[in-house]
Amino acid sequence: MKVANHPSETPPTAFRARDLSRRYGQKWALAHLDLTAVPGEVVLVAGPNGSGKTTFLRLLAGLLRPTAGELELFGKNLASDPFGWRRNVSLLSHASYLYEPLTALETVRLWARLLGRSTAEPDLRARLREVGLEQDGDNLVSGFSAGMQKRLTFARVRLEDSALVLLDEPFAALDTAGQELVTDWIAADRKAGKTVVIASHNLERAAPIADRAVLLARGQMTWQGAARDLPNVLARAS
Amino acid sequence: MNRRFAKEHWVGLAGLLLFIVGCYIGLFVAPAERHMGEVQRIMYVHVPTAWNALLCFTCAFIAAIGSLWTGRERWDATLVAAAEAGVVLNGLLLIQGSLWGRATWGVWWDWDVRLTTSLVLLLLFIGVLSLRSFAAGSERRASLTAVAAIVAYVDVPLVYFCVRWWRSLHQIQSSPATVDPAMVLPLRVNAFALMFAAIWFIVRRARLELARRRSSETAIPDRIERIEVRHA
Amino acid sequence: MSELRSQTLTLLAKDLRLEWRAKARLVAVGVFGLLSLVVFSIAVGPDSKALTAGAAGFLVIALLLSSTLALAESFRIEHERRALEGILLLPVRPGAVFYSKAIANTLSLAMLAPGLSLFGVVLYGVELQPANVVSFFTIWGLAAAGLSAPGTLYAAMTAQLRSRDVLLPLLLFPLVVPVLMASCKALALALTGDPMGQMRSWALLLLCFDLIYWSLGGILFPFVIEEG
Repeated sequence: MKVANHPSETPPTAFRARDLSRRYGQKWALAHLDLTAVPGEVVLVAGPNGSGKTTFLRLLAGLLRPTAGELELFGKNLASDPFGWRRNVSLLSHASYLYEPLTALETVRLWARLLGRSTAEPDLRARLREVGLEQDGDNLVSGFSAGMQKRLTFARVRLEDSALVLLDEPFAALDTAGQELVTDWIAADRKAGKTVVIASHNLERAAPIADRAVLLARGQMTWQGAARDLPNVLARAS
Repeated sequence: MNRRFAKEHWVGLAGLLLFIVGCYIGLFVAPAERHMGEVQRIMYVHVPTAWNALLCFTCAFIAAIGSLWTGRERWDATLVAAAEAGVVLNGLLLIQGSLWGRATWGVWWDWDVRLTTSLVLLLLFIGVLSLRSFAAGSERRASLTAVAAIVAYVDVPLVYFCVRWWRSLHQIQSSPATVDPAMVLPLRVNAFALMFAAIWFIVRRARLELARRRSSETAIPDRIERIEVRHA
Repeated sequence: MSELRSQTLTLLAKDLRLEWRAKARLVAVGVFGLLSLVVFSIAVGPDSKALTAGAAGFLVIALLLSSTLALAESFRIEHERRALEGILLLPVRPGAVFYSKAIANTLSLAMLAPGLSLFGVVLYGVELQPANVVSFFTIWGLAAAGLSAPGTLYAAMTAQLRSRDVLLPLLLFPLVVPVLMASCKALALALTGDPMGQMRSWALLLLCFDLIYWSLGGILFPFVIEEG
C-alpha cells in the first residue's frame, strides 16, 4: 500500500471533499458535496443513475478537476502533485480499460511493467489465478465475456495495491463466485488500512460490507450515515 | 437600460479616422511610384494588413500559452478573437496581393516566398478555428484550440525558411527595397489604423465569447435539504 | 527521465504488438499508397518525362495520404475501451504515450518505403543509384518522422471529435508543408543526382522540423489527453 507522504505514519484523512462541485456544460453533475473518509473505511455511494456517483469517483481519481470547492487526498491538493495523486488511487471504471487484441497475460505483463512490479511469468500467472482467469492467460481479451473482462480489470486494481480504491459498480457483470471474490477483497483491503469507495446499485452486496453510506440525488448529497441505516433511509425516501 | 459607450469603441473610432487619413494621404498626397505607377498605392493597405495579420496571430499565440498555463476563460476568448481577426486580415491580404499581382505581374498568383507563407498561415489558422467548431461542447475545447494555435504559429518560421530555400533556386521577386520617406507616412498611419481596428475587433469578439459562455452557464443549484435519520 | 524512457519503451512494445496483430490493416494502407501512385500516373498521362520529373513528389504525396489513414487508426484502439485513460491512471507520463505512439507511427510509415519506392521506380521510370540508396531511405525516414510527430498529436486531438476523418488532414496538411517540400526536393536529388550538394540543406531542414515537433509534441500532449 502506498501513501503520498510518509509510509510509516498514516495521515488522519484519506480524502476530504469540501463543497465539491463539478459542472459539465450546462449541467451541474455534482454540487456542494462535503465528505471525509479515513483510512480503513469502506464508503458506499448510492443513488439513482445520473446522481453524480461516477463524477465523484472520477474527481477522486484525479481525472477531473473540480469546478468549485476543494478536494484533498491524504492531505494534498491535486494541483500540487497530480502524479503523486495517481500513485495512491486505483479506479475500477465502467469501461474495461482493456486492449482487445492482447492476451490476458500480455495485458497483465503490460500493467506490471508500467507499475514496476515483477514481470516473471509465474508471478503474472499468479495474478491471473487470483482473479480466476488462470485458464485464459493465453487467450485474447476480445474473446472474453463481460464477466471475464471485469475479472481482468480487477487484476489491475489488485496489482496497483493503492491506498485509495475506487470501485464503480464492482459487482456488475460478475457471477456469484466473482461477487464473493470482490467482497473478500474489500474486506481484506479494509483490514489492511486502505480506504475503499464503492458506487453501486447492488445494495444487497454493497451495504453489508460498507461502514458508511452516502446517498446522492441530482448531484447533491441528501444523506450520509452508517451503512446499515441505508435501507431505512431509502424506504423513507420512496 | 444604460448603454455606455464602451472604451474600445474609442479605439475603433480612432482606427477608422486614421484609416481615412492614411488612405487619403496614400491615394492623393504620396508620390506615384516610378515603375509601377498608381497601382503601387495598394501597398498602403497591403503592407499594414500584412503587419497586423501577423500581429493578430502573435496575439493568438500568446493567448494560447496563457490559456494552457492558467486555464482561465479570458485567454481562450482572446485566442479565438485574435485568430479570427488574423484570418480575416490574412484573407484580405491575399485578395489585395492577388489584385496587385494581376495588375503588375499579370498573374493572380505566384509561388513567391511571402505569398506561399501567407497562404499556409491562413490555412493553418482556418484549421485551428475548424477544430474549435468541431470541439464545441467538449470540455477540452479550450486546450485543444490552444495547442493547435501554438503548433500552427511555430510552423510559420519553418514554412518561411523552406519556401525561401525553395525560391532561391528560382528568381527572387523584386520589392521596393528602399522606400521614399514620403511613402512611409501613409504606411505608418494605416499600420496604426489597422492595429486599432484589430484591437477593437479582438476586444469586442472576446467579450462576445465570454458573454455567450456566461449566458449558457447555469448557476450552481442551492444546497438541498438533507434527510435526517434518528436511530432507534 | 529514465522513467519516461522505460515507460515509452514498454508502451512502444505494446503499440508494435497491436500494429502487428492488425497487420492486415497496414497492408491495406500500403495498397492504398500504391493505388495513389497509379492514379497519379493516370492523371498525368503517358508523358514519361513528366512522370519521371514528378516522381519524388508523387511518392511523398502517396506517403502523406497513407499517413492520414494510419495516424487516425493509432488512437482509435485507445478509445475503444478507454484503454488510454487506464494507462494514464497507473500512472504513466503522458509524454511516454506520445513518444511511443509517434515512434510506432514512424515505423509504420517507414515500412511503406520499400514497397512504394519499388513501385515508383517501376511506374515512373526513375533509377535509384546504389550510392544514393542510403540517402534516399534516410530522407524517407526523416519525412516519416516529420509526419508522425504532428500527426500523432492531431490524431489524439481529433480522436474523440466528430468529423475526425476530415479534421485530421485539414490540420495536418498545411502544417507539414516544410516536410513535403524538403522531402520532395531531397528525394528528387537522391533519384536524379545531386551535383551541387543541396540535399544536405534539405535534409537539415527536415531534421530541424523533426526536432522541433518531436519536442513540442511531447510538451503539448498532456494538455490534449487530460480531461481536466
